[in-house]
Amino acid sequence: MFASFVQGPLIRLIPVGIVLLALQRTIFVDLTVDGVIIQVMTAFAAAAGAVGGSERGAVVGFVLGVMYDLVEGTPLGSMAIAMTVAGIVAGLLALITADPQWWLMAIFTGLGAAVGELAVPVVRVFIGEDHPVEPRLAVVVPTVAVTAAVMSPLLVPVARWCLRMTPAEWKDPTTDATT
Amino acid sequence: MAIYSVGRRRVIIALLLTSALLLTLDLRGNAVIDRARDGAARVMDPIDSAVEAVTQPIERAWKGIVDYDDLEQRNHELQDEVDRLVGTQAAAEASVLEYQELLALNNLPSLAGIDTEVAQVIGSASNNFDQVVEINKGRSSGVQIGMPVVNQAGLVGKITEPVTANSARVMLATDVKYTVAVRITAGTPCVEEGPVDTSPSGLTDEEIRDLASTSTTSTTTLPPDDRDPSVVVPDSTLPAGGTTSTVPGFAVPPPSTAPPAEGDAAVVETSTTTTTVLEPVEKEFGALEGRGGDRIPQVRFLQNNPALTELQECDLVETAGGSESLAPPGIPVGRVANRADRPGSGGPLLDVDLYADLDALNFVRVVLYKPLSEVDE
Repeated sequence: MFASFVQGPLIRLIPVGIVLLALQRTIFVDLTVDGVIIQVMTAFAAAAGAVGGSERGAVVGFVLGVMYDLVEGTPLGSMAIAMTVAGIVAGLLALITADPQWWLMAIFTGLGAAVGELAVPVVRVFIGEDHPVEPRLAVVVPTVAVTAAVMSPLLVPVARWCLRMTPAEWKDPTTDATT
Repeated sequence: MAIYSVGRRRVIIALLLTSALLLTLDLRGNAVIDRARDGAARVMDPIDSAVEAVTQPIERAWKGIVDYDDLEQRNHELQDEVDRLVGTQAAAEASVLEYQELLALNNLPSLAGIDTEVAQVIGSASNNFDQVVEINKGRSSGVQIGMPVVNQAGLVGKITEPVTANSARVMLATDVKYTVAVRITAGTPCVEEGPVDTSPSGLTDEEIRDLASTSTTSTTTLPPDDRDPSVVVPDSTLPAGGTTSTVPGFAVPPPSTAPPAEGDAAVVETSTTTTTVLEPVEKEFGALEGRGGDRIPQVRFLQNNPALTELQECDLVETAGGSESLAPPGIPVGRVANRADRPGSGGPLLDVDLYADLDALNFVRVVLYKPLSEVDE
């Protein structure tokens, strides 16, 4: 069990998650875009999904979401569901291409983050909060998506490192054939 | 790519179900989760501080680029406001003292008798849905869930969970989950925005005329023996035009008459004070509810009644108190910014412009107040 923990993604994911959580709670609270707080943790979950597929994205989203809920005081599991959904969606989108370019990764990350952010009020409807869906959501979701896409060139390599994945190397089939 | 493989689906479903289970446990209240939260908060505190120290230069540089013009404009506005407030401060203090004395005489609860705990805002919500700030006082300072939080301007919000030993969260009055009983005091007109000529009281001449006028006319009649009785000299101790009360409902006491100088023993001084008493202020009670985001809170009246027609823009809103209310009576909340009448039997909706600037909170005061219903138990 210890070996699987050391060799698994959690040992890298937890410290990265703590740093991201600290960034989310400090600098990203103040550096808003049109009053919208950039969701770096949701973006990272989506980036992990785009890199490692829906299953790994879900695991990363769940771990980050639980950390966020514990520290931020939001109902435990609410952001975990939202970030899990972000990871799953980005992972499913990434299946449309075998070796996505960086800009495709950015689009997947952005769309995953958008769905994750949209899931927050949906979860809150289910837990009985009044008026969780605000008209401002029309501004919040696109802004979170665009900022996640912009951050993806930074987040994707970190997600690869966390998940112990190496970028796919393209090999010339003709070279392989001759050698 | 086996995206629909059973194993992969199992993991995803297990994670979603675990989240739902955690959510259920937390909403029902669980001591283990509360302890985990305490532990997580303790772990994150030093990390937050370190990250903040590292990122502060970046943040300041960014704000310097983006917010400079806004900051300059805000500075000008604040300077105007300071000038205005300096004038009203003295009169307001006297008014508050008198108000406290009256409450004490009538054995009514007042804010002066309730302990408070000063706290500093150390963080705010990092998502786009909650209107919450974090303060650096918690259970060890007597802070409990539900206690009202105010600043120098007025009501800020209330303490919400989680409350740890040394920190607590404040749900702002703009949060959609926030609600508090308020009363509306009618009869005070709006003060126009921007620089206006005001008296030292902070009110314009027109407002002073409209509100309460206490005109003092003082005449000094010369002795009939050696001076002409028909000559009337204005009293030099009074400002030209007499004095005018500056606070609604609060009459300035008539100026004391200077003792007669030597040789003027025969001077007879008469002082006539005419006070126009204000109309009784109508009051209505309602529930103030936050609406989230950038929208200002609203007061709802469940049922329409003729008294509500008196309510208008710029009426004052303060907490109503009551045995079940989490806030004591008399905390200033804000002014009515807009009134919207609803068709049918529903009462009007009043948009309330809060006194407290919730975007720029620094030091706040937790009112260590328990509702009367809980104190009696």
